[in-house]
Amino acid sequence: MRPQLVQRTLLSLVLGLLFLSTAATGKCSGKYHELLQQLQNQADLMQDTSTLLDPYIHLQGLDQAGLKEHCKESPGAFPSEDALRGLSQRGFLRTLNATLGHVLHRLTALQQDLTVAREQGRNIRGFRSNIHCMSQLLRGSSEMETAEPTQPGPGATLPPTPVSDTFQHKLQGCRFLHGYHRFMHSARQVFKEWGDSRCRSRSRRHRPPRALQRGARRMRPFRRDERLMPRGQLPR
Amino acid sequence: MALFAAFQTSLLLALLSLRAYQSEVLAEPLPLTPESLNVSIDSAHQYLNLQWSVHSLAYYQELKMLFQIQISRMKTSNVIWVGNYSTVVKRDPVLHWSWKSELPLECATHFVRMRSRVDDAKIPEPRFWSNWSSWKEADAQKSLGRDPLFLFPKDKLVEEGSNVTICYISRNQQDNISCYLEGQQIHGEQLDSNVSAFKLNKVSFIRKTGTNIFCKVDQKDVIKGIVLFVSKVLEEPKDFSCETQDFKTLMCTWDPGTDTSLPKRSSQSYTLFESFSGKKILCEHKNSCNWQVDSDSQEMYNFTLMAENALGNRSVSVLFSLTHRVHPKTPYNLFLKNVSGTKATVTWKVHPIGNYSTLLCQLDLLGEGNVIQQHNVSIKENGEYLLSELEPDTEYMARVRCADANHFWKWSGSISQKFVTAEAAPSEALDVWRNVKSVSGHPTVTLFWKPLSKLHANGKILSYNVIVENLDRPSRLEVHSVPATANGTELTLDQYSYQIHVTALNSAGPSPASVIVVSGDPGNEEAEEERINGTEDGFSVSWKPQSRKAIGYVVEWCDHPQDLPCDLQWKNLSSNTTSTVISSGAFRPGVRYNFRIYEISTERMANLLEKKAGYLKELAPSDNPQVVVSNLTSHSFTLSWKDYSTDSQPGFIQGYYVYLRSKAEKECHPGFKKATLSDKSACCQHRIDNPEQKTFVMENLQPESVYEFLVTPYTSAGSGPVDTFTKVTTPDEYSHILIRIILPMIICVLLIMITCYLKSQWMKEKCYPDIPDPYKSNVLSLIKSKENPHLTIMNVSDCVPDAIEVIHKPEGSKIQFLGASKSLTETEFTKPAYLYLLPAEKNYSGPGPCICFENLTYNEAAADSGSCGHFPVTPQAPPSQPGPLTSPENLLKALEKNYMNSLGEIAAGEASVNYVSQLASQMSGDKDGLPTNPPEPVHCSEYKMQMAIPLGLASPPPAENSGLSSTTPLDQSEHYR
Repeated sequence: MRPQLVQRTLLSLVLGLLFLSTAATGKCSGKYHELLQQLQNQADLMQDTSTLLDPYIHLQGLDQAGLKEHCKESPGAFPSEDALRGLSQRGFLRTLNATLGHVLHRLTALQQDLTVAREQGRNIRGFRSNIHCMSQLLRGSSEMETAEPTQPGPGATLPPTPVSDTFQHKLQGCRFLHGYHRFMHSARQVFKEWGDSRCRSRSRRHRPPRALQRGARRMRPFRRDERLMPRGQLPR
Repeated sequence: MALFAAFQTSLLLALLSLRAYQSEVLAEPLPLTPESLNVSIDSAHQYLNLQWSVHSLAYYQELKMLFQIQISRMKTSNVIWVGNYSTVVKRDPVLHWSWKSELPLECATHFVRMRSRVDDAKIPEPRFWSNWSSWKEADAQKSLGRDPLFLFPKDKLVEEGSNVTICYISRNQQDNISCYLEGQQIHGEQLDSNVSAFKLNKVSFIRKTGTNIFCKVDQKDVIKGIVLFVSKVLEEPKDFSCETQDFKTLMCTWDPGTDTSLPKRSSQSYTLFESFSGKKILCEHKNSCNWQVDSDSQEMYNFTLMAENALGNRSVSVLFSLTHRVHPKTPYNLFLKNVSGTKATVTWKVHPIGNYSTLLCQLDLLGEGNVIQQHNVSIKENGEYLLSELEPDTEYMARVRCADANHFWKWSGSISQKFVTAEAAPSEALDVWRNVKSVSGHPTVTLFWKPLSKLHANGKILSYNVIVENLDRPSRLEVHSVPATANGTELTLDQYSYQIHVTALNSAGPSPASVIVVSGDPGNEEAEEERINGTEDGFSVSWKPQSRKAIGYVVEWCDHPQDLPCDLQWKNLSSNTTSTVISSGAFRPGVRYNFRIYEISTERMANLLEKKAGYLKELAPSDNPQVVVSNLTSHSFTLSWKDYSTDSQPGFIQGYYVYLRSKAEKECHPGFKKATLSDKSACCQHRIDNPEQKTFVMENLQPESVYEFLVTPYTSAGSGPVDTFTKVTTPDEYSHILIRIILPMIICVLLIMITCYLKSQWMKEKCYPDIPDPYKSNVLSLIKSKENPHLTIMNVSDCVPDAIEVIHKPEGSKIQFLGASKSLTETEFTKPAYLYLLPAEKNYSGPGPCICFENLTYNEAAADSGSCGHFPVTPQAPPSQPGPLTSPENLLKALEKNYMNSLGEIAAGEASVNYVSQLASQMSGDKDGLPTNPPEPVHCSEYKMQMAIPLGLASPPPAENSGLSSTTPLDQSEHYR
């Protein structure tokens, strides 16, 4: 337990510093690569189950045989990785932003039980600020693309209010956090592919802003069947 | 009239009948059967709520009734509970009653019925039960929905230690369902085909988020669970009390005990109820509550504190009088003024309590954390107290607290203030001692004193004053100031007597003087030393008083006698004391401590009385003496260890053991006895009982034998180490004789040789000079005495030589002689040189004067021949040798010079020197009287020619260039052989 606690504390510290760097500047960075790297790093830290899910499971006493396997993401609660890949950059950012908005809402309810939820809420807000900055950066480019709908967020699929049954409420919270970390893992993969594909080929859907095209001419489009291996942090 | 009568009769009958009816009604049992019984389920609290009415109370405002209730489970015949409910029924009532089920109501259908009976004293006996109402069913399963599995009760809150029953309802009888409590499977009782119940006894608190219980349908992804919230037991508040500080507010406090709060559940709350006033307040804090005292000065208060949570409540009460619960506020403004060395005044203030209240204040004086003085002072508002009997230069702390003087309840908080009293002059004289020794003939006194204790110093000692007063010359005083860090000083005095005053000084003044008298003449400070034994408590020292004038005694010793300085210690004792025990933490076993007892005379002079020496505990010697072997003979040798000091040993040396062992001898010598060493080897042991005997003679030994010996001292604790023996080999019997004779001889010979070597020149001159001194010749004396007493030896200075042959004989000459076949030309460099000493006449051919030296030492053969030859003397002087040699002095010089040259050029021992003798004639002194006759052989019986010519070469002179010898001819015609 003690090493986990230390690990979590360190993670939170690093994450907090990352978010603080964004908040401290107060204005968006105009450097695409820097912002992308920041988003990747933030998503990398937020996908870590030791920040929310693990403490929650322990606090609620769900770390028992027979219960763990029921702590899985509810289907449709969060957009799948494939769905995220199918989105344009701006669409992806809009979906990410909306989904995290719902997550923030749920985390507020969890804060009574889980003190780390408050801290993670601050991190999510910082992450959303970076999403906002990236959106502005993309909007500044003259990318011509057709409008596309965002993927439905968790608010559309999850029960809007917690059930009265505390046991079910515990399981739902567990599933929700599981889905959240999986979602952030998918988002991390997408951000990673943004960086990778930029160097390979141009993509009509994922090309960087025109201002950045000079250094990003080899960006390639995502393939629908291209799946990235999960990092193995979440039970699938 | 008849009508009136009939009406009157009818009325009367009606009244009678009414009365009769009334009597009948009251006499019969009331048919108050419960009606409209309705049963509902409160799932959250597991209550069966009953509601019914009673409709037959038309004649009574209220009536006490008793209801009997039956509850059945699963079926009406399975009655699980029967109970009575008594209540006062009012007109047109709707009655309510609830029953709490242990089994979750959802798990089974329940049936309820009841009946009633009047239970009011207004209704006379007998009283009868009404009929039972019909069974009413309560079935919660109907509203559960279609889930395959249900688990109840949901989110139940229980107190730790309670018993809880849970149950599950399965829709499918074929499903195999297993249930778990915190991961551990539990087994229950099947109530019917699809309902099972589990009874959990004495549930314990696991976590605030609840205990998880869940059931799963095997082979299906169906899980249902409940959370059982187990709360800690609500405790009764402890230490509940109320008090006031100002008669305006009552502060009630308590210990709430364990917190029973759970997340999303209301925490325990506390309410304060005062029964006299009927007021009740909800406390804001869990452990305290403020109650406003009414202005009408309520005297008595009866408080009830109730702790309450969702599961129950606990209460505690207290009854008190307000005036008995006064807890004054902490005093303030505590000051000290007029602080002197022994006194100080303390002042403080208190918050007033009412108009007539008096406070009792306790003033504590603390020193070093302990209460030294305690004083009680009654005050209204301002307090003041004079503290006395204080110690100078001491830190104190004054502490004040107060309480109600009339009804003590609690002390207020304390206020304290530290202060330091002023310094005063030291109150005690120093404990001074001295050590007198003589340095370079001057008595030197070293004074020692012990620092004053804090109690007696009365302040910081700044310095010490030493006043030396010459008792023989009272007018002379010497004052020495010694720094405060020192604890002694050294004074060099003369032969007078001195009185020394020592005082300690602080800022307030000096201490009383400590006086000691020292005599310049230490006198005889010797005393017989006695031995004492140390114990665990120290050394018991006693002495015999010598005079009745002693004013005291001093015992002196060193704590570390082996160190320098030895840490001199002393102990003052009164005049009537003749013994004491000297103890010190520095005393160690195996260390010799010397004690000196001094008698202090009325003149304050210390005289040595006795000396004691002892060990706290004697130890065995750790080292053996260094033994020297001497006087080694073939039969004995002497052992000595005179350098061994017996005073610095770890015990009193009582003697020595001498061990001797030899392979040659099996038996011990007389005085020895056999002993076995630690290595099981045998040896002989001799015991010396006198520690001062430090020599021992080993006798009766065998010559040429190896002996091993060891000398070890012993004390009362044992002997020294018996480890290393020293080997000695006795010589043979004659060796000492040889040594006594041969050794001196060798030394003498060596001395002679050295002397000869060093005095070789002198010896040569004396014993075998190159030119012998005729005067010293024994031959001369022999001749003189036997033949011719007038015969004298010619002095060289008297001889006028005309020529001297100087012989140069280099190394090569010898070779020439030995190899006769060599040509002479090879030896040209050996030409003789002729010194013409006299102005030669060219034609002179007469024989010259004949000088014959005899030296038997060098040429015995020649001497034996009995003749000496006359060599021809060449009259012509070489041109290279003019006349400087004409004078005798020059001649001597030349002789000497050439002689020396010839010595240097001729190899010693190999040189053949021809001594040309000049025979002094009778006319030796007459130069003019030269013989004119032709030369004849002259028998030189009187003077023998001394020759150093090798015997084999004593032949007629060779040719001129022969190189054998050179002849300085006196006359060419006079050649003698």
